[in-house]
Order: sequence, then C-alpha cells, then structure tokens
Amino acid sequence: MTQQQEKLSAFMDGEIEGNEIIDAIKHDEALQAKWKRYHVYRGAMRKEASVAPQLDITASVAAALENEPAILAPKRSRWASIPLIGNVVPFAKQSGQFAVAASVAVAVIFGVQYSNQDAPTEPFMTAPTIAPQGGLAPVSLEQTRALPRNDMNEVLEKKRKINALIADHEQQIKLKQAQEGENESNASGPQRP
Amino acid sequence: MRFSSILALFFISGVVIQPAFAQSVSSTEETQSSDTVTQPSPSEILGEEPNKQSLQNNEADNGREERQADEQSEAVRRTDVSQSASQWLAELQNIITNANFQVSFVQTVAGKETIPYLWRHGIMEDGSELEQLNLQNGPGRELIRVNDVVSVFEPDVQPYSLRSKHINGPIPSALLYHPEQLSDAYEFVAVGRARVAGRSAQQIRIVSRDNTRFGYQLWLDESSGMLLKLNMLDLQGGLLEQIQVTAFAISPSPAEYFSRINSASLPPPMALSNTPMRPHSWDVTYLPAGMREIKQDTRRLALTGQVVEYKLFSDGLVDVSVYVQPADDALGETLALRNEVSTFLTLTDGKAQVTVVGEIPLQTANAIANSLRPVTN
Repeated sequence: MTQQQEKLSAFMDGEIEGNEIIDAIKHDEALQAKWKRYHVYRGAMRKEASVAPQLDITASVAAALENEPAILAPKRSRWASIPLIGNVVPFAKQSGQFAVAASVAVAVIFGVQYSNQDAPTEPFMTAPTIAPQGGLAPVSLEQTRALPRNDMNEVLEKKRKINALIADHEQQIKLKQAQEGENESNASGPQRP
Repeated sequence: MRFSSILALFFISGVVIQPAFAQSVSSTEETQSSDTVTQPSPSEILGEEPNKQSLQNNEADNGREERQADEQSEAVRRTDVSQSASQWLAELQNIITNANFQVSFVQTVAGKETIPYLWRHGIMEDGSELEQLNLQNGPGRELIRVNDVVSVFEPDVQPYSLRSKHINGPIPSALLYHPEQLSDAYEFVAVGRARVAGRSAQQIRIVSRDNTRFGYQLWLDESSGMLLKLNMLDLQGGLLEQIQVTAFAISPSPAEYFSRINSASLPPPMALSNTPMRPHSWDVTYLPAGMREIKQDTRRLALTGQVVEYKLFSDGLVDVSVYVQPADDALGETLALRNEVSTFLTLTDGKAQVTVVGEIPLQTANAIANSLRPVTN
C-alpha cells in the first residue's frame, strides 16, 4: 500500500511512467481518493486552487471508465498537458545531469546593476557598427521584475546558455594543465626520463 | 561576509594597537635614556619613527640626521623582507616537491559549504613521485598523480588520466610549484609572523601589480615552509575564498597508502588533440599585467552545441575565458552576473556576443571584453 502511495506520488511528479500506476488507480478507490487529494494539496500549495476540493471529478471519471477502458490513452495525454509538469520535467532531468553547472548558475544569478554608459563602443569583427551600448541589464530569477508565465521557457533557455558557457569555462580550466603538460613533454621530446 | 567583518575588525584593532604599543615602548625607553648615555633605542633598531619628545630634547640637526638614519634602516629592512618573501615561497616549493607529507585542509567559499580535502605526497624508493588529493565529503573525488600522469576518479564519470605534472586542486599549482612565474603579475610582500593552525607562521601578501585582480594572503609554517592558510580577497579586502590547513604531518617515509597504488591499473593518459587552428579574426588589446594567452580554438559547447570562438588567458593564479559568438545564436543581450568569486560578463552590439568568464573583478572583465579588436592581416 505504501509502495503504491509512493508510486502515485512519483507519478504525479512525473518521475515514473504511469501505465502500471494508472491501472492501480483505476481499480483502487483509496488510491483514487488520494490522487484527487494530492492534486488538491498541490494546487493549494501552489496557490492555484484551481481544483475545488468539493468537486468530485475522479469519481465520475471512474464511473465512465468502468464501461470504457479505452479512454485510458487520452487520460495520459491529459496528464502531459498539465502545464507545470510539462515544463518542469525536462528541466528537472536536465538539471540532474548537469547539477554542478546548474548550482553554479543559481549561485551566480543575482543581478548586478552595472551601468557603464561611457564605455567606448567597439566594433567587433562581424559588426563594425557604432550602436550605442546600453548599461548592463539586471537579471534575476528571484523575480526582481515580474516574469509572465510564458516567459519561463525563454528564461530557462537563457539560463541554459549561461550554464553552457560557465560549464565550458570550468572544463577548459581542468584541461588547461593537462594541455600545458602535453606541450612541455612534446617540446622536450623523448629525452624526458 | 561574516569572515570579512571579522577580518576587518582584526585590521582595525591591529591598527589601533600597534602605534599605541610602539609609543609606549619608546616612551619608557626615553625615560631611561634621559639620565644615561644615549644609546640606540629599540625603536631605532625596529626602524620606528623617533617620537616627538626625543626630537625636542636633541638639537634640530641631530634630530634630522637621526631621522635620515631611520629612513635608511627602514629601506634596508624593506629589501630584506621582500627577499625573504621569495625565500619563503622557495621553501614551500621545496617541501611540496621533496617531502613525504599528509595535509588535511578545508576550502571555504563565501556563502557555500566548507569542503574538506586530504592531500598526500610521497617519494617512493624507486624515485617515483606520487601525490593524492581526495575530496572527503559526499561521493568524493580522487585525483592520483604518478610522476606526470594525473588520474581522475569522479562519481558518474569513467575514470580518466591526463598528462600533467601537477594535480589541479583548489590551491593554484603555479603558487606551489612555480612562484617565480607569478612575479610579472603579482607582488609578494612578507608581512611578518602570525599564528595559524596552532603554529608560528609567516604571512605573505600577494597583490596584483596593476590592481586589476583579486589579492591573496598566504601563511606558511615557519619551521617547515608548508602552506597553512590561503585567503583570496576582493579589491576592498573582503574575503572571497579561504583554504585553511587543519592538520599536517611530514614523515621520513611515504604514506602506506601509496604502496597500494598499482600504477599499471590506472587508466592510460588521454591524448589531447592539438590540431593547429585557424587563428581568430579578433584579438584582445587589453590584458592585465602578467596575463598571457594559453590557447585558442573554435568548437561547440558541450551543453548546447553552440559554436564559439574561444581564447583562454591565465596569469598563473586565475584563468579567464573569452567567447565570441554570433549574437542571434547567443543570449543577445548585455548581462553581468557575479557570485562571490567568479564573474560572468556578456556584451553584445547586436551582431556579435562577447562573453568573459573568470575569477576577476567585474571592472577587469569589462575592460577585457571592450578591448576586442578585429585583427587586420
């Protein structure tokens, strides 16, 4: 039973694939009640409160399911379409892989207001224009400026690009000494002991 | 922050106490020497300024001579001290390359957890040099060096080896092994004695010559020359990062651990491709004193696959990366991020994106980023 609860919880968080647990929920009223309650809790915790506790959708869905098991497939896509899960899952997976880099960025990202209006504008090789260079924009994921929901992907994408550069920098430092060692041994050749 | 306030307190109290102490010494001496024959007072030997009372007692000419003599002795003392700073670093280099030692130290970065390390070094009977650096918390990270091959054992990564004469740990290897290479970029000043980790230590300040990089304070064990503590300070003197030795032992024979290392079972060193690259059509025209280009290449970032033109610069203590990308592929905006130690600065003019990453002050990163110029062949 507790194992089922754990699975249910994990399924809600999008951590496991749900075929088995969906079947279990389908056949177990206690699990159905939990499924509903967990969603209410989550909604309340996130202050969405979009699921009214008195609204018993799952019971009626279950009743409908008893006659039509084929409805299961659309149910799964419904789960994927819950906006928060859809967005969070890929990012959570990614941040697991690059936990170090992500933690760096979290530490890094509190905005620095750094205005440098009188810095000379330099023509780069691809762009010899004299576009005025503004002050550096403060950026923060702590939401010092309100971010609308649909910007979330963009913010994550930016964070990913920042992380890519920071991770690359750290990797280059790791490899730097090795490279120097290689160059030195190449230079001195086979005379080295 | 807590560290820096404590440090500041120490400095303040030090400043207040020192002159008061010096004055009390010389004034007691004055009362004694007034009725005896004039003799060199301890204040003169120490190179202290003669206090006002003695000037009043003596004739004006004598006072002036005395003052000149004092200034000379102070100049002599300064040169002595700066010589000894490099002597101390030579002692550090000597013990780290030639001794069998075991050192436990912790690394603290402001706002992060303290990381403990174990560091061992041994010269085996056959003359081979072994070194080990082990991260002591969590799943750990182990680096083993056998002569000039460093093997890295990390969780979730296949063990690999690199050809390198030093383990790349939290202590900058240039400081340990090649302090002379840092003299273009940094000035070493011996400060004096202190007590660290329960031992008498010699303190050395490391300051960048053009004041464009963070500074360091280094404490070495007086009897052995072993590193005891290393602080990294920002330009205002606030503490950024600290390495503190908690225990160390120097033994006549190498640690038993090393005899269990079978160097044949370590992964063979990876061959790094050193294919010569087409040189970039840009270059930086400003670099802090003593910083030089280590390498340049064009490649894809591991995480996003973006193509970047890349240059790595180093002054031995800090490394700075410069990236140039097309702006529409990159962030496309101007942005500066900083944690306590590292600076991430990215600038764009709408077409190209220049990013500077490294442990340097934001002003320096900005100066480097703004100094990019197209190379005219």
